[in-house]
Amino acid sequence: MLKTLKSLRAMGLLGINRRNTSYTLKWNDRRFYPLVDDKLQTKRLCEQAGIPTARLLTVAERVGDLATLFDELEGHNDFVLKPARGAMGNGILVIKARDGIMLQKAGGSWIDQEAFTFHASGIISGLYALGGRPDVALVEERLIVHPELAAICRDGVPDYRVIVFRGIPVMAMVRLPTEVSAGRANLHQGAVGIGVNLATCRSSHAVIRSRPTTHHPDTGEAVVDRLIPGFARAVDIAVQATDLVHLGYVGADIVVDATRGPVVLELNARPGLAIQIANRCGLLPRLNEVERRWRPGMSLEDRLSLGREIAGRLGAAA
Amino acid sequence: MTRNFWIGAAVAMPGLLLFLWKVFGLGLPVAPSEPQDLWRVELEIQTRSVARGGSISAALPSSGPGQEIDDSLAMSDRLHFSVVRDGPRQIGIWKGSFSGVHHVSHAFRAQLIGDVVEVKDTDGLLPSEEIVRRYTETTTTLPVNDPEIWTFLLGLELRGPEDQLGRARGLLTFVADEIELVPDGNSDALICLATRECGMLGKERLLATLLRASGLPARVVQGLSLQRGREPEEAAWVDVWQGGWVPVSASRGFFGRRPSDLLAITVGDEPLVQSVGMAATNFRYRALPEDFRPDELAALMVPSSLILAPISLYRLPVATQSVLRVLLVVPLGALLLALLRNVVGISTFGTFLPVLLALALRESDLAVGLVMLFGVVGLGLVARVLMDRLHLLLVPRLCIVLCLVVLAIVTMAMFGRGFEQRDLMSGVFFPLVIITMLIERFSISLAEEGLRNSMTRLAWSVGVTIMVYPLFQSATLSHLMFGFPELVFVVMGVLVWIGGYTGYRISELIRFRSLAAQAAG
Repeated sequence: MLKTLKSLRAMGLLGINRRNTSYTLKWNDRRFYPLVDDKLQTKRLCEQAGIPTARLLTVAERVGDLATLFDELEGHNDFVLKPARGAMGNGILVIKARDGIMLQKAGGSWIDQEAFTFHASGIISGLYALGGRPDVALVEERLIVHPELAAICRDGVPDYRVIVFRGIPVMAMVRLPTEVSAGRANLHQGAVGIGVNLATCRSSHAVIRSRPTTHHPDTGEAVVDRLIPGFARAVDIAVQATDLVHLGYVGADIVVDATRGPVVLELNARPGLAIQIANRCGLLPRLNEVERRWRPGMSLEDRLSLGREIAGRLGAAA
Repeated sequence: MTRNFWIGAAVAMPGLLLFLWKVFGLGLPVAPSEPQDLWRVELEIQTRSVARGGSISAALPSSGPGQEIDDSLAMSDRLHFSVVRDGPRQIGIWKGSFSGVHHVSHAFRAQLIGDVVEVKDTDGLLPSEEIVRRYTETTTTLPVNDPEIWTFLLGLELRGPEDQLGRARGLLTFVADEIELVPDGNSDALICLATRECGMLGKERLLATLLRASGLPARVVQGLSLQRGREPEEAAWVDVWQGGWVPVSASRGFFGRRPSDLLAITVGDEPLVQSVGMAATNFRYRALPEDFRPDELAALMVPSSLILAPISLYRLPVATQSVLRVLLVVPLGALLLALLRNVVGISTFGTFLPVLLALALRESDLAVGLVMLFGVVGLGLVARVLMDRLHLLLVPRLCIVLCLVVLAIVTMAMFGRGFEQRDLMSGVFFPLVIITMLIERFSISLAEEGLRNSMTRLAWSVGVTIMVYPLFQSATLSHLMFGFPELVFVVMGVLVWIGGYTGYRISELIRFRSLAAQAAG
């Protein structure tokens, strides 16, 4: 136990107490939390600033809006229904095809218009929201997983997580869903976490539930030392998106679409610590370096290159 | 970090200083001294009357060999209470205009010492005529003149009248060894002698009868046996005159040495509580061991300081005191909880849920309480899962679960009554809302995090409850916090320190174990 403590300290692992007191509580002003907790607000901010996000097709804010919800989707064959304040991918309904009033779910089964509307009413009543408060149902375009990523993982939508501290990207990983994680990109549910070097855009290490791995469990594709598609652009929009929400310590989730390239999925004001396992590297040395090197009025390009430089220099020892 | 350290210290310091001054300056006791055999005893009598007239009388104990009685307090419930003396007996009488149900009580403090009488070998000290007349006569319960007693005594080969002590010992040996003691057995001396088995009072009556019949003054003494962790039990023994009253007992088997668990309440074998004109009379004795010596208690009630004397919590009404005793332990529970969450890294359902559960379970046995808790939560969960299909809105759904929790608790209370199981009744104190929220959170967690993670979290919640539970059971902690409420400031100071703790949680050492191993290897 004492040995573990020493070596974690030596590598500068960020623990949850430290993250809360020195980063989220210190750098994230509570009044800006709604901007990231509500995906609708995040999306609107991004759209205004010209940062790509999944296009919003329609919104149902009240039960009364449900009557026209289906009609507003006329002409769209595939889309995603989701709660604005959902957590951990709960309550998301992916429709990949339609035939009149019948809709085909991502899993292949068919539902009718009524079932779709009922799911939306569940979202509005707060069934999937944090704390069970009334919520808003969004319908947005369905993103098509980039073919290179689709070849590695069969189920679900992989995403990139970028930690941005004071506008400077400090660490990133790719999360690939697995059969075990039921198509969700959450590491604690069994998704593969892959550390990505910010400087080279290549994957370095991979883990499943804290155990090192080199291949995706479902497809057997190698996941280590690969060039990650659209990664540089993903970090770029991640930083731009976090600039909008006035928060100092944010995790940005980016999805790479086959045709549109990287788009912002959501932002998180309390990003998890597992990214350090995927990168085999502690966050603290990088965060400290950012505090030392940060200057007011740095341009986007300066910040991106500072992030690459720090990550390149303080990369994993292994 | 250093700033937080000083702020924490500044918060804790006034409380700590006040505490130290009270302990070392005023000499207040920190922990209960739990004096030996000091008891608070209370006799509760409940009567129902149809007529207006009548009276209740109860034998009251007085100081004497083996016991000190003081601090008596009678509650008279609209009646008049008076004490009369009748020889060695002291009797409390409640009189007045009776109407319906009356609850009266008499409480006192008893210091039991035990009574060891050095039995004199000679019969040099002859009893006075008064004693001989009074304590050798025949009565309905001590039938000294009955032929069967005489026949029996003649059959025994007892020592001659010059060896009184030997005769007394012989009779004691006979009644102690040859008469079988059966619980709730007969209390008649003659039946006892004929069947060779009877209850405790029967044995002592037979012994007293035989002693009187063989010329030794004797009397039955009734009282209680008081032992820690047990309800008071009625007890009886015999005083035999050997130049003084010597306690002997055929049921407990002692001669001259009265054990220190015995409290004498009255001499003679009339019932301890009697009533005239009542339709029904119930009574029971309760006894609680005192935690402080009388002088310590006095110091706590009125500290020898002009500032502190008027604000001692010990001067509040007893009911308020018992609430505050529990309340003041809650900060300690919160402190432990903060340690377990932020330093150990245990994740539980709801922040305060384990503390509130431990609080709710304090009335009952932990195991019984947890089984009850699982019963209620399990029922609620089944209902919650079934309701999931109805897609009800949040608040009505929560209210339905709340109703079910209420019904489950009511059912348990009914069962508790049926089985005379008091622990089941204590479900009434369960925090309804907390349990409802536990059910809701658990079902959400089931859906979002899966069965395994939810069960792990539930197990930790119960684990923390079990860890917090002893705090609420500890008399020492309850006295410490009640006697020294300023310690809450110390708790807050420590919480400031915990709040500024930025080191790893113990759970993180386990979570990131593989990372450390890779870095090292």
